Amino acid sequence: MTDLLVLHTLRCLGFTDLQRVADTAGLTPSDAESRLIDLAVGGLVTRTSGAFGGWGLTAAGKTADARLVAEELDAAGSRAAVTTAYEAFMILNPELMDLCTAWHMRPVDGVAEVNDHTDPAYDARVLARFVDLDRRASDVCSALSATLPRFGRYRGRLTAALDLAKAGKLEHLADTTTSYHNVWFQLHEDLLVTLGIPR
Amino acid sequence: MTHLHVLAPSTPADAGILGGKGAGLVTLMRLGLPVPAGFAVSPAACRKFLEDGRLPDGLTTSLDDAMRDLEAATGRPLPVSVRSGAAVSMPGMMTTVLDVRGPLGEAVETVFASWDSPRAVSYRELHGIPHNLGTAVIVQAMVYGDRDEHSGSGVAFSRDPGTGVKGPYGDVLFGHRGDDVVSGRVATRPLGELADREPVVWAALLDGLDRVERHHRDVCHVEFTYESGRLWFLQVRPGGLAGRAAVRAAVDLADEGLIDRATAVRRVSAGQLRAARTPRIRVGTAVLTRGVGASPGVASGRIALTADRAVRMAAEGPVILVRPHTSPLDMHGLAAAAGIVTTVGGPTSHAAVVARSLGRPAVVGAAALTVDAVAGCVHVPGGTLAEGSVLTIDGAGGDVVAGPAETTTADTDPHLSRLLTWADPGTR
Repeated sequence: MTDLLVLHTLRCLGFTDLQRVADTAGLTPSDAESRLIDLAVGGLVTRTSGAFGGWGLTAAGKTADARLVAEELDAAGSRAAVTTAYEAFMILNPELMDLCTAWHMRPVDGVAEVNDHTDPAYDARVLARFVDLDRRASDVCSALSATLPRFGRYRGRLTAALDLAKAGKLEHLADTTTSYHNVWFQLHEDLLVTLGIPR
Repeated sequence: MTHLHVLAPSTPADAGILGGKGAGLVTLMRLGLPVPAGFAVSPAACRKFLEDGRLPDGLTTSLDDAMRDLEAATGRPLPVSVRSGAAVSMPGMMTTVLDVRGPLGEAVETVFASWDSPRAVSYRELHGIPHNLGTAVIVQAMVYGDRDEHSGSGVAFSRDPGTGVKGPYGDVLFGHRGDDVVSGRVATRPLGELADREPVVWAALLDGLDRVERHHRDVCHVEFTYESGRLWFLQVRPGGLAGRAAVRAAVDLADEGLIDRATAVRRVSAGQLRAARTPRIRVGTAVLTRGVGASPGVASGRIALTADRAVRMAAEGPVILVRPHTSPLDMHGLAAAAGIVTTVGGPTSHAAVVARSLGRPAVVGAAALTVDAVAGCVHVPGGTLAEGSVLTIDGAGGDVVAGPAETTTADTDPHLSRLLTWADPGTR
């Protein structure tokens, strides 16, 4: 039987290293690696070597993941609830993108310039808006994990990123691989894959 | 007090009462330029609505009266547009209601309520705009850019916002309404195509751009719609240029005698001078196309059409990743690339956000390019570039150039040098 946990985690991460697959799936690196190798033997994932190398899905892996996730969705009777949550998510999505842009680019004299992060008051305002958005995103996360428990991991990962940012490590808003933006984008990808919506 | 103000040349162009859009429309009317008939609902009415949760007493009746007057003035029953227009520009953050007939109360409430939408609140927080201003509402007779083959919509700058060079620059959508231009749902065409297709509209547009620029003594941009061959202006704003382009425009305006040198120096803020230090592709370089500059800087490299190819090719030298759009599936390619081009998507797209987080130059929305990953090439205006051929991109101006390109830095920019001379009395 196909290891959907690891396959689908990698599908939503995209292309990444072993450590991130393990962290995201909540597995030890050795367990994750063993499962990835099994999937690779089945032709569903592949490993690229080199400086920018890592694990990724093959075309067959993407097809298999789409089929298995759709089956899981229908078996749980969750299609309607996930669709509703996706619609709510898409209302919040432009806001998140606005905030990521505000984090990197700052309006000065009405002109957007690269935010050099020398004004803590501005960065604090951006963080406050992330916190406000997150409060509203919580409703979407709750609805998703209520209908399909695997979505519950996103709530924890978003909270972890935001907590780090609140503790002063502001790069966790949109500049790291585990940033709020990156987790958000993986949730977006997951919703699209789960519902079979092309990007 | 009344909350309604007819848009007319005699109405004071006061942004506190008419909103920024309304004040601009009155200015256009005074300059003798065509503006659809209409009226403004003052921001004071919005503030009252936000306090009480309902429109001020008597406003509904006043709206009915104003609609009757509008219909009498234009001689026909009207669908109207109902748009926001705060004293300070908040582009795209509030709701617009198009094609409204009959009682306007609900549409006005919708626009007022959108002042407090989360996106609008964020925008004000981050731009330092007070939350208690409220927005005006502008009600105007609808004009239809999708009326017939001689209709369309667009935006136009009086000078190129990428370089500051004098001359009309912008986008046009033939046979579409203005909301399609703003939404990015439909690919726009370069503004210059209007010249051949609708010479009368083109001449009227150039005349209008000239008049607003002389009035404001600054670069201006306008939104316009033409309906059955007749041009209408829907908005005007001065300014909006950044970095090197703002410097060039200020210096040229001084040379043209529209402003003095001291004004030119004042126009260019410290922040714009900082932005002007970003390297740029030299003005005058032949460009393949221009998208939206999403992360400043210039990058040259060989074209890679997939993230996997970018990773492999990066081992041998710099790579420009060219994709329709990007997703987390492309992260390794984004990390490996020296620069990023997407053909769809705007300045808040995934590619733009990731490029900025990596500090890589990026151009997004380069709609004139088509990626054919199967054939291994990019279709460009007038030809095809194979994967592996060299491309140069300018993430400030949005330019995409075939082959390597000469760049200019702050030290070699003649306009910047002149402005700095004007700014320093010791060398004058």
